[in-house]
This record gives sequence, C-alpha cells and structure tokens, in this order.
Amino acid sequence: MGSLVLQGVTKRFGKVTAAQDVSFEAKPGRILGLLGPNGAGKTTTIRMIANILTPDIGRITLNGHVVGPWSQEQMGYLPEERGLYKKVKINDQLRYLAALKGVHARESVPRIAYWVKRLGLQQWSARKAQELSKGMQQKVQFIAAVLSNPRLIILDEPFSGLDPVNSELLREIVAELKANGRIILFASHRMEQVEQLCDDICLIADGKLLLKGTLRDIKRRFKRDKLALEFDGEAPFLNAMEEKGDLHFLERNEDGCIVRLAEHCHTRSLLERLLATPDLELYRFELLQPSLNEIFIRTVESQ
Amino acid sequence: MMSRKSLVVMQNEFMRRVTSKTFILTTLLGPALLIGFFAIIIMISISAVEDSPEEISSLRIAMVDETGVLNARILDQDTGDHVLVTADLSSAHEGVLDGLFDAYVHIPPEVISGTSQPLLYSLEGGGLGVRGTLGNIIDRALEDHLLADRNVSADVRSIFDRVVRLESVRLTDEGEEAGAPAREGYAIIGMVLGMVMYMTMLIYGTLILYGAMEERTTRVVEIIVSSVRPFDLLMGKVLGIGLIGFVQMAVWVLMFLGAMIFAGPIIGMFVDPAIYDLPAAATNQEILAAANISMPHISVGLFIWFILYFIGGYLLYGGLFATVGTLVDSPQESQTLLLPLLMPMIISIVFMSVVVVNPDGGLALGLSLIPFTSPVPMIVRLAVTDVPIWQLLLSYGLLVLSFMGSIWVSARIYRASILMYGKKPSLRVIVGYLRHG
Repeated sequence: MGSLVLQGVTKRFGKVTAAQDVSFEAKPGRILGLLGPNGAGKTTTIRMIANILTPDIGRITLNGHVVGPWSQEQMGYLPEERGLYKKVKINDQLRYLAALKGVHARESVPRIAYWVKRLGLQQWSARKAQELSKGMQQKVQFIAAVLSNPRLIILDEPFSGLDPVNSELLREIVAELKANGRIILFASHRMEQVEQLCDDICLIADGKLLLKGTLRDIKRRFKRDKLALEFDGEAPFLNAMEEKGDLHFLERNEDGCIVRLAEHCHTRSLLERLLATPDLELYRFELLQPSLNEIFIRTVESQ
Repeated sequence: MMSRKSLVVMQNEFMRRVTSKTFILTTLLGPALLIGFFAIIIMISISAVEDSPEEISSLRIAMVDETGVLNARILDQDTGDHVLVTADLSSAHEGVLDGLFDAYVHIPPEVISGTSQPLLYSLEGGGLGVRGTLGNIIDRALEDHLLADRNVSADVRSIFDRVVRLESVRLTDEGEEAGAPAREGYAIIGMVLGMVMYMTMLIYGTLILYGAMEERTTRVVEIIVSSVRPFDLLMGKVLGIGLIGFVQMAVWVLMFLGAMIFAGPIIGMFVDPAIYDLPAAATNQEILAAANISMPHISVGLFIWFILYFIGGYLLYGGLFATVGTLVDSPQESQTLLLPLLMPMIISIVFMSVVVVNPDGGLALGLSLIPFTSPVPMIVRLAVTDVPIWQLLLSYGLLVLSFMGSIWVSARIYRASILMYGKKPSLRVIVGYLRHG
C-alpha cells in the first residue's frame, strides 16, 4: 500500500499564505503527528489532503495518484470543527455518512453495529444526535471517520473533550488501525499525546514546515543541554558559576536542581568538579532529552 | 449534472422529510385548511353583501324632509329593510343624541333644484352600506318626483327601470359551454391556484433556506464536504426537497380531481328531483342540469402547467433562497437578504386580482413573462383565459434560464463560503466568491 505524499504544496487566501511549500510523506502503518500553533495552517493542509480545498501550487498524491473525489472514498476525516445532524438518529446518520463514502447499506449496517458496540454506544444508536452528550457525539464522529475502512485516517484533535477512559479506548483503537497498515494523520497541539502516539512529526508554523522526521530523529537533533542533578551536601560553586554566566538554573529544590550549561562549559568538567567536592554525595547526574513541548516552543520562537 | 453522490443526498433529504409527521400532516390537512380558508373568505364576503340590509333594518332612521314632496315617495320606496320615521329637525337631532334613532337624514329644500345634497347624521359617521342604501332610496324618490312633475307616462318610467344583464359563455374547442359558471368559476379557480402556487413556493423556498444552512449551523459540513462536492450536496438538497414538494402537489392534485368527480353526485344527493319536476329516478346529471349547476371544466393541461410552473418557480427561488442560506448562520440574519427576494413574489400576489379581472392586459402579460413574478400570474391567466402559446413558451423559457442562472450563482457562492462560518460576508466578498468561485 502506498503513502500519502505532499510535494511543494502552497495555498493562498488573498494576501494570506496559509501553506507555503509544504512537503512530507505519511506512510502506511505509521502515525504522523501534524503539530503547530493555532492558525499555523494545519487545517488548511488537512483540507487540501481531504480534497475540500485544492492547492495553488504543488501536488498531493495518495498511492501515487493525485487526490480527488476518488480518494475521498478512501479517507476518513474527523475534523476539529465537528457536528452531527441534530434531529437524525445515530444509526441513520452513520448509514448516510457511509453512503456518501460509497458504502452500500448492506455493508455499512453490520459495520455500524460493530463500531457502535465497540465504543459502547448501543443504547444510543436509535436516539437522535441532540440527545447525546458531547463526548458521545465525538465517538459517533470517530465511527464516521473509520466506517468506510479508509486507507487514510485524519484525526484532528480527536481526544479533546473525552474523559480518560474514552481517551484510552480511542488510543487503543488508533493503535489497532495503525497495526492494520492504515496511514494515520494526527493533528494536535497537545504535545504529550503526540509524543505518546506518533512515529513521525511535522511541525508547521505560519504556513511553513519547520521540522519533520521521525520522533526519535527530531529528539536526537536537539542537543541534550539540560542537566538533572541530585546530591546531598553543599555545592556553593554552582552559584558562583551562575554569576559568571556558565550555567543557568531552570529548577531548584532541596534535593537538587535542573540546570542548563552555557556553550563553553563541558559536562565532563562539571561532573569532575562535583565528584571532587568533599562531603558531597552525588545521586544523579543525567543529561535530559528535550521534551517535544520544548522543541516545539524553541523552534517556533526561533522563527 | 446529476452525480451518484447528489442522488445519495437527494434520497436522504427526501426520505428524512417524507417520513416526518409534519409532512404527512400538511399533505393530508393542507387542502382542508385551504378549503376552510377560502370558505371563510367567501362566506365573509357573501355575508357582508347579504347582511348589510339586515343590519340597516335594525337601524331606526329619522327622515327630515324639508322639500315637503319627497317624504311620501321615500316611505313608498321603503322595502322594509329598515325603520324609517318622519321627524322634524330638532326632534331628529335630539333623538340621535338620546339614542332614540341610529341616524337621521336631513333633506334641505334645495335638493329638488339640485343645488344642495341630503345629509346623513349619525354618531358613528355612518357605514358605507347605510349611506348607499339610503342614497339610492332618496335618489329614486327624487327621480320619481321630478318625472311625475313633468307628466312622464308610466311606459317611459319603465324604461328607466330596465337593467341589462350580460351573460357570459365560454368558447372551447368542443363548442360552447352553455350555462357555464364562466368567469366567476374560473376566476375562483385561478385565484386558488395562484394562492397555492405562492404558498408552496414560499414554504419550499424556506425549507431550502434552512436546508442550506443545516450543515453549517450543525458544523457537520466539514465531514460532509470531505465526501461530496459542495455542488452535488446543494443539487441533492434542492432536488430532494423539490421532490417532496412535487409529491405533495401530486397528492393534492389527485385529491382535487377526486373532489371534482364526486362533487357533482354529492350535490345531486341533496337535491330533491321533485323540485324540478323530474322523475324520482332522474340521474345526477339530469338533476344538476335542471338545477343549473355545472362544475367548471378544468383541463388536464392546466394542472400540467401548474406543476411545471411550480417546479420552475421552486428551482428559481430555491436557488436564490439557498444562496441566502449559504451566506448566513441563522434565520435571523437571513431577513435582510430575503426581503429583496420576496418583493417580486409579493408583487405577483398583490396584482393577482388585477390579472383575474384583465387577464389579457399589459400588466398581466408583463408579470407573467418576468421570471421572478411569472408563476403566479401565469397560472391565474391559464385558468381564466386562453394564453397564446408563444407567451407561454417565452415565459417558461425565461423561467428555465433564470433558474439555471440562480443555481449556478448559488453553487459558486456555496462552494466558496461553505467553510466560512461565524462571520457575515460583505457584498464585496460575495462578489469575490462569484468571480473566483
């Protein structure tokens, strides 16, 4: 099964450039996290992938073919701005949404029964959407996104408004779909969720692609410049170092601290100095990996 | 033009609405309400005509005749519809103020020479009916007095009493429709059809308006347009709701035709053949002919044109209403945009009575050609008169062209504005949508 590929995709609305020269690839069996601050161009990019908008420049292909009405049937989409027909029963609603994806009722009915049960909505399937809570409606919208057995699944903030139990259930299902070889696009600005779920990352800000790669590569690309220290005893030279500008305290408590060393200082010399200090028992000396959140903030700010 | 997806949308819109209680109720009760509505109007207008003498009869009116010659003739003319009392000016005046009389008429002596006019005094100022009836009586009395004064013979007098009544007969291809209810019957049918046309166009236009708003207000739109092109969605909606209208019309036409077939026999059942010196075994037709009741003949062509104009008018206004629906987020916001659209519709209803009276006149022709007003006046004209075929074809051709235009416009705006919710677009933005689609 082929991938979803964006090549030099650009979209302008009047004077505003919502997406500029965006290129990335989302592969089957992997989850691609689309990150970016509000108004970065995530939704525009997703809408172009979903063939709701067409790019001004560049091309988007699924399995080697340019996306179009054909690819809409191979794709499930849970948008961030989402709703349901208020006065329509859940079963009827899902059957209609499946029919729009080209799925005949004789196939969609058993599938709806399966998913409704899987998400614990059996008692609600004959009710009208307006009787459901927001979280339940969101589960219905999720069903709509996976009902046509799509090869590409786009989930925009799928966990917002879900309780921990339902979030876990959804995460489980997403992992299953991934194992099934689907291409999954996950857009969010909740970094801890992205870190937990995604294999690949694309960071967009101001319509531009700032970072892309596997989660591991990206984390490796950012230097481990944070140091966690835990010790028993006094180390007054640390304060002296801060005054000289050799290091910077990020956090400090009774047991230890987290510091960032200046460029010209070496971790090795600091370690040697700590070990050489009399009456100081060192418990922990760890170079910390930057969190995705920090990478995100640092990359966006450096722009 | 019709894609598979718009068929899915159409089917969904149709099934959702056709099974709704509202639809079933309006379809079944619609004609009853309509008949009731017109029955009330007709009853009120008939009773207004019939009641007026009775109302006057309950009035006590004092006559103050200062000519000295008219009073006897006036009392002579009195048909018993009202109580006329001779009185002098001051007692009449007091009597009205005390409530003894409802009104008094003062006839100054100069009325004979025509240099003065009689005056009606009452507390309420007097309704038109009272003034008309009393005026006629005084007029007649004065006329009699003046004729008698000049020794005019009774034969000559009878000449003045003659009234010519123009009977009308409708010519059809099959021949003359004798004793036809002619103009009146057809005028009523024309008015009813025009009214039904107007109301259904308005009702279904409004349904489209809400339909076009539905996806956006419920925010389901993004899921939908990731499966369907906006144009297919709009087409599916317009056609699905239109199909509902068509089904409703068809049911109503069938009910109406059924009523026409059974109306004769039902009337026949209530008429006793003996009244018309007919044998007891007389057929319904014979009874109806003897009773001089004939059903206005309505051609099937009229119904076909009615449905065609409904479809055309619905699609034209449906397209325009849909455009409004795509530009606003709530019914409240739609009001200002709807007003210019409703104007032509209202004009066509306002001038309906003019069209009925003068179906071949310039105004009727003009209104029935302009696409925005044509459905109502044209159906009225078709019911009342023979519309030249070129006018019919030109009018319908223009209607088809404009509804295609209106669907095109709304599809373009719909595509551009479908994902823009929460803000009302300015006129410039709308023009931009049209240019760039």
